[in-house]
Amino acid sequence: MIRSKSQQVIGYVVLILFLIGILLPFVWMLVTSFKPNTEISAYPPTLLPTHWTLSHYQTAFGQFHFALFIRNSLIVSLVSTFLVLLLASMAGFAIARLPIRNKTPLLISLLIISVFPPIAIITPLYMLLRMVGWLNSFQALIIPYTAFNLPFAIWILRNYFLQVPGALFEAAKIDGATVFETFYRVFLPLTRPGLFAAAVFSFVASWTEFFMALVFNTAGQMRTIPVGIALFNGQFNVPYGDIFAGSVVSIVPILILVIIFRKWIVSGLTAGAVKG
Amino acid sequence: MSVATTAPPEIRGKSLKNRKNRKDRKTLDRGDRRYGYVMLLPAGLVIGLVTLFPIIYSAYMSLNNISLTESGYHMNFSGFSNYSILIHSGVYWHSVWFTVYYAIATVAIELVLGILIALAVNAVDRLKDVSLVIMLIPWSLITVISAQMWSYIYNGVYGVLNSVLQWLHLIGSPVTWTGTPFSAIVAMMVADVWKTTPFVVIILLGGLQMIPVEYYEASYIDGASRWQTFWHVTFPLLRGSIALAGLFRILQAFGVFDLPFVLTGGGPGNATQSLAILGEQQLFQDLHFGIGAAIAVSTVVLVLGVSLIFLTAFKSLVEGEAA
Repeated sequence: MIRSKSQQVIGYVVLILFLIGILLPFVWMLVTSFKPNTEISAYPPTLLPTHWTLSHYQTAFGQFHFALFIRNSLIVSLVSTFLVLLLASMAGFAIARLPIRNKTPLLISLLIISVFPPIAIITPLYMLLRMVGWLNSFQALIIPYTAFNLPFAIWILRNYFLQVPGALFEAAKIDGATVFETFYRVFLPLTRPGLFAAAVFSFVASWTEFFMALVFNTAGQMRTIPVGIALFNGQFNVPYGDIFAGSVVSIVPILILVIIFRKWIVSGLTAGAVKG
Repeated sequence: MSVATTAPPEIRGKSLKNRKNRKDRKTLDRGDRRYGYVMLLPAGLVIGLVTLFPIIYSAYMSLNNISLTESGYHMNFSGFSNYSILIHSGVYWHSVWFTVYYAIATVAIELVLGILIALAVNAVDRLKDVSLVIMLIPWSLITVISAQMWSYIYNGVYGVLNSVLQWLHLIGSPVTWTGTPFSAIVAMMVADVWKTTPFVVIILLGGLQMIPVEYYEASYIDGASRWQTFWHVTFPLLRGSIALAGLFRILQAFGVFDLPFVLTGGGPGNATQSLAILGEQQLFQDLHFGIGAAIAVSTVVLVLGVSLIFLTAFKSLVEGEAA
């Protein structure tokens, strides 16, 4: 690639400004979570805490039961991610490698469903869940999350299955393997990066979902992290210190996931978005 | 299924060479096709039950007067009365208008910024890995958390934004950013752009990296200026990625809920009341199920309309995908 020196310099300046812009609000939240309340509401604010304190972390986990929210979010996100992988890998394989009809309309509808606004479905689902007595339960979120994350996962996995040479399909068949055996013995192991990518997307989407969690699981002990944080209200003031302490802790698992799987997230996105 | 075939390992049945092959293909296809439907079925059932059925039921609900009693929901068919209420409601039209221009404005800003930043990142040799991790932070952040974060930054009494702007002598006295309609909308847009631009950058970077180096070399040899290279090489080849990032983001933006719920509560007044916020209020706070359902249906129509416009505009892209 031909890049002039000035292009490099401009590139670095823009990139570094951009990265600082992303990090600053985030760092501000981190710093604030260690400040005592008097400093949190001081104006002008102190840059770093003059007295570092862990009291907000104690309050978040003691008084506000934040560990419970984390547990709920983990259960809901992990189970629905597992279900998504199970169902999406089969469906993605079928669309990529089997001669089913109407693939194009199918793919387009999947793409549209994957970004459908939850407002469109929330009331009937609420009534349905109420009818069967499933409000304030794990399955009240696991099932909708699975459904909402399936389309994008199918789309990603289909692209990965397409990258596996089609000759393998015929070869396995000649060796007497059934279609299903070909799928899980030959194709699935070769699309592991796609499975990682789909897993991270579906986990992050479940971990961050707010609207359905807010409407379906309102009971204190069934709240997920987003609901817990949105409804963290003090009597007189918004308890920013406690909110940020809980937020910082809830970011850790996702951050680890992002650092480990960053390559696959990107390849999943680009394979899904601009498959050549 | 044990049809011996000499057909090429091409299962989509498009490149058939002669009749005999085609006949073999047909029997071969039928078995595989059945497997295909069986493997699609579980995912199809879950998606159908949780998304398609409720959408249809929402449409049915929107044609009824619904009351909540001890024994459950009671529906009285009322034709289009809910829609007629909406059509005559200024609050509803305000929400539609706000949702549309909010989605278009934020996504336009994100795309322009995204292209500029992706070009910059692409021109740089180092820092790629670190930038990637940092860019993924806002993407993976719970929107509710980022909304709380920004609400603290914007706070009118002790927010750091006021302090920075006063230090720069840009404002005289502290401003309550979520207090006036205009500043609240801008504040919300900034928070949204902060959270989603990195995602757009990642998609566009993927697109940029797929452009063959030879094209740039050719345009360099031809003596094209940097602007000409961008306009005639980069941009046309990046259009697919831009369209997809744009479609994803605009559809997401039409459902915007978490951010205004926490940051502005839809206010001040109803300045930042998106369709989803209005719908939630009607449904779960005022228990106007029929009207809420009508709002939901109108949102779906809006989303479908936008998707259709997008897909028609970029038809070639999608057809290339599915071939």
